[in-house]
This record gives sequence, structure tokens and C-alpha cells, in this order.
Amino acid sequence: MSTREREKNILIESELGTEGPNSSSASVARDGGVKERDFASDCGIKPEILVSRMRSVSLSSKSRTGNVNEETGTSNLEYKPEAWMIPDQAEDRLSQLNLAIVGHVDSGKSTLSGRLLHLLGRISQKEMHRHEKEAKQQGKGSFAYAWALDESAEERERGITMTVAVAFFNSRKYHVVLLDSPGHRDFVPNMISGATQADAAILVVDASMGSFEAGLDPIGGQTREHALLIRSFGVDQIIVVVNKMDVVEYSQERFEMVKQKLGTFLRSCGFKDSSVLWVPASSMENQNLVATPDERLFSWFHGPCLLDAIDSLQLPARDYSKPLLMPICDIIKSQSQGQVSTCGKLVTGAIRTGSKVLIMPSREVATIRSLERDSQACKIARSGDNVTVNLQGIENNHVTAGGVLCHPDFPVRVSNHLELKILVLDIKIPILSGSQLELHIHHAKEAATVVKILSLLDPKTGKVTKKSPRCILAKQNAVVEVVLQGSVCVEEYAESRALGRVSLRSSGRTVALGLVTQIMKTQ
Amino acid sequence: MKIIRRNLAPDGPGSVKMVPEEADDLWMAYNLIAEGDTVLAVTVRKVLREAASGGRDAERVKLKLEIKVETVEYDKEGSVLRIRGKNILENEYVKIGAFHTLEIELHRPFVLRKEFWDSLALEVLHQASDPTASADLAVVLMQEGLAHILLVGKSVTTTRSRIETSIPRKHGPGIAGYDKALNKFFDNVLQAFLKHIDFKVVRCAVIASPGFTKDQFHRHLMLAAERKQLRSIIENKSRIILVHTTSGYKHSLREVLDAPNVMNMIKDTKAAQEVRALEDFFTMLSNNPDRACYGPKHVEVAHERMAIQTLLITDELFRSSDIATRQKYVNLVDSVKNSGGTAHIFSSMHVSGEQLAQLTGIAAILRFPLPDLEDIEM
Repeated sequence: MSTREREKNILIESELGTEGPNSSSASVARDGGVKERDFASDCGIKPEILVSRMRSVSLSSKSRTGNVNEETGTSNLEYKPEAWMIPDQAEDRLSQLNLAIVGHVDSGKSTLSGRLLHLLGRISQKEMHRHEKEAKQQGKGSFAYAWALDESAEERERGITMTVAVAFFNSRKYHVVLLDSPGHRDFVPNMISGATQADAAILVVDASMGSFEAGLDPIGGQTREHALLIRSFGVDQIIVVVNKMDVVEYSQERFEMVKQKLGTFLRSCGFKDSSVLWVPASSMENQNLVATPDERLFSWFHGPCLLDAIDSLQLPARDYSKPLLMPICDIIKSQSQGQVSTCGKLVTGAIRTGSKVLIMPSREVATIRSLERDSQACKIARSGDNVTVNLQGIENNHVTAGGVLCHPDFPVRVSNHLELKILVLDIKIPILSGSQLELHIHHAKEAATVVKILSLLDPKTGKVTKKSPRCILAKQNAVVEVVLQGSVCVEEYAESRALGRVSLRSSGRTVALGLVTQIMKTQ
Repeated sequence: MKIIRRNLAPDGPGSVKMVPEEADDLWMAYNLIAEGDTVLAVTVRKVLREAASGGRDAERVKLKLEIKVETVEYDKEGSVLRIRGKNILENEYVKIGAFHTLEIELHRPFVLRKEFWDSLALEVLHQASDPTASADLAVVLMQEGLAHILLVGKSVTTTRSRIETSIPRKHGPGIAGYDKALNKFFDNVLQAFLKHIDFKVVRCAVIASPGFTKDQFHRHLMLAAERKQLRSIIENKSRIILVHTTSGYKHSLREVLDAPNVMNMIKDTKAAQEVRALEDFFTMLSNNPDRACYGPKHVEVAHERMAIQTLLITDELFRSSDIATRQKYVNLVDSVKNSGGTAHIFSSMHVSGEQLAQLTGIAAILRFPLPDLEDIEM
């Protein structure tokens, strides 16, 4: 980990001089590269203050992919972020916080989200009445709030969330992007797509007798799988909402039991006790969501309500200094020719209207016509923002969900042959050479085959304990080589965390979590 | 496969005249015909003739040729078997020793003469002529945006079609686009379904997916059948089964074959047996790893110690051109059977066979644990 000096209140303009984005000068031999730092320890520092050291190299706008060594993906140029990319301290902007809501099916995630949005004024009374009426008509009166997020006919009919719903609201400190995920087993791939964008998470558990236990069940329950996946995406702050407290009559005993059982599990996942907040609540009766609860809860619970808990979360540090990387979560085809809208969260870098971006893996260049955040137009989007990018000059079939928007001079790597360091979860069938799994990386997923098991590693030291083992059993760490059916956009974990994390699934369960250690030549 | 004439002695020379009737039979023939055998069939040959005026005239002549096999190729797309070799039959158009490629097609008879009909070849022949063991299952394996149409036959699983589209988000402004895209996707799958699935041939059609995609597609299928009066679907409504799988990728076919309502239909077929055998192997490997092994070396060692209870081997290993290797494996299979064990020969064209092939193609479940196999190099 390289240590960079963090200087407070440096005006970026003075460092850059008057260079604009279109100036061209000879490129200098490349620098050692910008290494991503481990931000876990920097939680307390506001990201706006962090500034990385910049050299006097500028970007040549004439060069395209010609400057890039396609094999290794390294660029001959040094990336220098422009003035507008780093947020100005003086700018009065609430930072964006991406919050994923996960948990076992029927724990009340969508209803909780709907309630929150309604209480904070994001859903008008009229809309709410409409949902209530329609829900009652279909005999699903209790789902009225969930219908604010489950908009498709299929979801409403079945009473479940199938894909991640994105909603926006403002707390006192943050612009919150709410990612309401499905809890059903079959839709975990969709939940992964949402969770990969998360900065922090709300884990919802059902306090009622039997339901909590069912959720925690290692085979049938999703509470465990979701918590593990969330942790594997680097999220270390989690708010546990113990929902449906009204059903157990706000019993403190039940709350403490849930807290103790789940707490042990979360600790084993790697969540620090100090990063886990416990909030008992009832979304049905609107208790402890945005205001202090009434006597039944308040008599024994004096912790924060949900909104306060959200405000107490720390933003992870944002990397503005690296070239643009935005994994595409969704695409919306437009009626007009040559226009496509993509949605996603910027992992690094920044964009503004008029910027040119490179779309991988099709390698097409497009221009940004406009940006939208929360259905409102905005001019600039930076790392951490969840936006809709309206592109121009590109055909529909060149953009796919699972692709990545990047800087034209710094394309992201694409390959179907990867070396991974994996941690195998509690599985029944061992992983052998030839095992067929599904690989999930940011928003992309592909069928994968394990072609070689290189070695087993010691979980504590990371040293190789056995070369070329026969198979990998549960809870072991190993290094494997996989070949995918199709190519994906990927970066090594050391280069980019968001694009270097993978999860491997098979037979409806997550079998392993991994990091990309090496990108090999496409087979 | 129709066997017209059989004239052979076990473990000795002989000839068989047969007519392949379906793709599976060509696959069987592919496994039967080896280098050194002779094949007699009617074929077409381009013959150069000298005309009276001295000019050379090329003419395509139908004639009967017998060739000594050098290479065999199986074309699964075109359902054709290509056998290349030297001519050994006296013929007015083709000299002895000239090279020729015979194309064996469906419904064309041919005669196969072998020097040595070993137990394996006899078994293949027996299976080929058995009319009851056909699985003939059509499977539509799908998930949102991806669908495979597969035909599971006796010994061959063919992918008839693969459809992939990108389906946009379900919320906010894109919601109209979602329904449209989904319907378009279902239409494409429907087209492929009608094109490749013939209810006269298959026993039943399975629609499998995670989530609710299968129900949605079934609904779409039924509505379209009503609307367009598609008789083949309306009449065979009862033969369409819905099965839950965990993904739409090809390797989930295993789960389809495992599902109880599908299993009932295909209980005795090869495909089902193979799936079960591989399942048993994996279960043994996870519960008691010392009682399972894979890789030629380990299996050999296990065999020397008379430890093999169940042998799993793909037919690819038998098709090696080196006669000694083939003989070795045939002996292995025979001796496992003789010592009271079972041998499963997996068709490499089935999903489970593919999986086994990835694992080196040979595996075994042992009678007693052999922990020291761990130390032997694979």
C-alpha cells in the first residue's frame, strides 16, 4: 500500500495550470501507475479532501486505442484527471450513498423501501392511494407499499421482487440511492447486480417466530448468502433492520435473541461489531423508521431510528483520480436512431455532458448527450454517483448490460480466460477440474469451466500448501484457472476492486467468492 | 438402427449389414467403425472418362465401393459420417488402392466387416438395434434473455438452437421496453420450438428455467397456439412439462434429467443412467474422497488392487486410433465386469459425458478406500 500525502484544502486549479482537456502535447514515458489504495482504514476522512499527486503529463486527445497495448491493457500515457473531475470543496452538494437492501424472501424489504419513500415525501399521497386501491383490488392489500418499487405485472401478481429496483431519497446527510434487491433464491444473480453497486447495506430480517430461523437456515435461507455476498463486495458497514416487530409485540427478548444469533454469523463473515447497527422496526406500523418510536419500543430501545442510522454511515472513499470506469447495469433502448441510455454507478473517474466514452467490449465510441440523476438532469457525474447516461452516436446492439463505459484512451481489459484466487464456501460437492459453474463479475455473468486447479492456499498466511490438488473442498482457499463461454470486461483486483471481484455459483447456490489475480489471453 | 444381416463370431471376424435410421445410429456407427475395418456401401464418385475426341469428360457415377478405413469423421450438424480410406474392391471405375471418402447417410445401408468383434463392439451393436431405449426428450432450457433448445437422444444430445438477447430494466422509463423485448424473445424461442421439436419423434417436451420464465413462456406458447391454431401444440398439450432449474446454461440440463417427473419418463434410458452414475461419483467424492478417483493413472492403480466397483468411462477413449490403447480400455471394462463391478460407458455427446470428459474421461467409485492415491501423480 503506497502512502500518499493527504493535503487539506488544496485548490486543484493551481496544480493543473491552465491546461484544458483538449490540449495536446507529447506523451511522456509512463509512470509507475496509480495504485489503488486500501480505503478501509481511511473511513473517517472525507473523500473530498483526498487529492492524489499529479504529474505534468497531459492527455493526448487525438490518440485512440492505438496507444494502448491490447495484450496487456497498459497504456503508454499517464492518466491525469481534469479539473472538473475532482469535486470542489466549496460546492454544496450532498454526497451520494448507494444503499442496497437485502435479506431473505418476504422479510419486508420492498415494503420498508416503499414506506421510507412515502414518509420522506418521494411518493405523493395520490400515488400511494392509487397503489393501495390497485393492491386491494388484486387481493394484495398488504403489499401496497411494496408496489411502489415492484412495478411490473409479474412482480405484483406473485408478490415478490424479481429485479433490483432503484429509488432515490434524501436523508439529512446524503442523497441516498436505494437498491431494493430480490430475496428469492432464483433471483440471486439479479441481487448480485444490485449489490455490486452498494456502498453500504441494509439487511432486513423478519422477527416473527419461525421466519427468522428459516431465513438463517444454511440451505434454504437467503440471509446467510446475502450477507456473505455483500461482504464479498467490500461492504463493511451494515444496518440490520429487525422488521415485523409488531408481530412479536415488540418483545425485547426476541430482538436480543435475533441480535445474538445473527451477530455471531455476521462476525464470522468479517463484519466488525462496530460497523453493524441494529434497528428494530415495523414498517407496517411505521415504528422507528424516520422518527422516535412510541412507548412499546422506546421503553427498552434507545438506539437510532433507521434514518438516523443511515446518516451515521460513513461514505467509502471515492477515487476521482483514475480513468473512467462505469459498469453498465441496464440499458434503455431509445426510439431514435443512434441513441441509447445506460444506467450504472461510476466506479472511478468522472464524466460530463459532451464527453466521449468508449464502450466495451464492442470498442465503439459514443458521445454523452445528457446525464440524469434521480430523473433530474445534471452536468457532471463522478465516482460514486449512480446515473443514467444518455449516449449518442451508437447503435443499440453495441451496448450490452454487463459492458463497461470507459475513457477512450484507457480501455478496460476483456478476456474469457482468468486466474482467480477463490475462497470456497460451505458446499457439498467438491470443485474439480472440469467443474462447470456460473461466474458473476460486476453486472456480467457467464458460464465458466474450471480448467485447472493450480494450488491450495493456507487461509491465514496465503502461502501455497499444495500444488495441483485433485479437488477443492469446502472452506478451502485455492488458485484456479477458468475459461468462460463468452468474454467479459475485467480488471485485476489489484488494479480495480469493483471489476476484479467475482462470485462463482452452481446449482442455485454461491459456491465460491474470488478475486482476479491474472487476466490471461483469450482462448 | 436396422440390422439386416449379421454374420459374425464373438471375438472373431465377421460382417454386419445395417441401415442407420436416426442421428443416434450414426453416432453408434462412429463408435463401431475403427481404423483397419472395411466398409462397403453405395456411393457417388466423380469419374474422368476419355471421350472419343480425346477430351476428358467428368461424370458422376453411382457405384458400390468397399474401402479399408483410415479415418472416420462425424458431422453432427449435417448428420453424416465420413469414412476415408483405400479402395479394395475390384471396380471398373476405381482402381484398387485409390483413396475415396464414403459418406454414410441416414436410411442408406452399408456393410461393416471387422477382423475382431470385441465385447464392446458387440454391446454397441446390441444397443443400436434395441428400439425401446430411446430417450428422445426435447428440452427448452431458458433464463431471462437466454434459451437453449436441446434434443436428448439415446446417445447423443444435440443443441438445436441457442437464442440470446439483452432485456432491459423493469422499472422507471424502460418498463414498456421490457415487455416488448421479453415478448420478442419469447417469439424467437417459439419459432425455434416449432422448427426443431417434432412431437411425432420426441416423447415429451420440457420447459425448464429458474424463476418464473418457464411459466411466462408456457403462457405465451399456449396463447400463440390458440391464436394461430398450431395443431401440433394444441394436440400435445399434455406432453409439455415444466421443470425448475437453477440457471439457463447448458450444464443445468443435468437438473432437468434429475427432476422426478422427467426421470419417470426416461428411467431406463442411457442418458438417465449416466446422470445418476455421475451423481453417485460426486456424492462419493464429497463424502468419502478416498473411495473415489479419476484420471487414467489413478484408475489403473485402483484396478490393479481390484478396488473398482463402478467404472465411468467416456466412449471417446475407445475411439483412439491406437489399437493398443483401445484394447487396454476394453480389457479394463471387461475385467471390471467380470469381477462383479459395473461399467458405464458415457456417450461424449451427452451433457454428463461432456462433464466426465472434462475430468479426464475416466473415473471410478471404489469398493474400499485407497488413501495413498493422493500421493501418486495424476
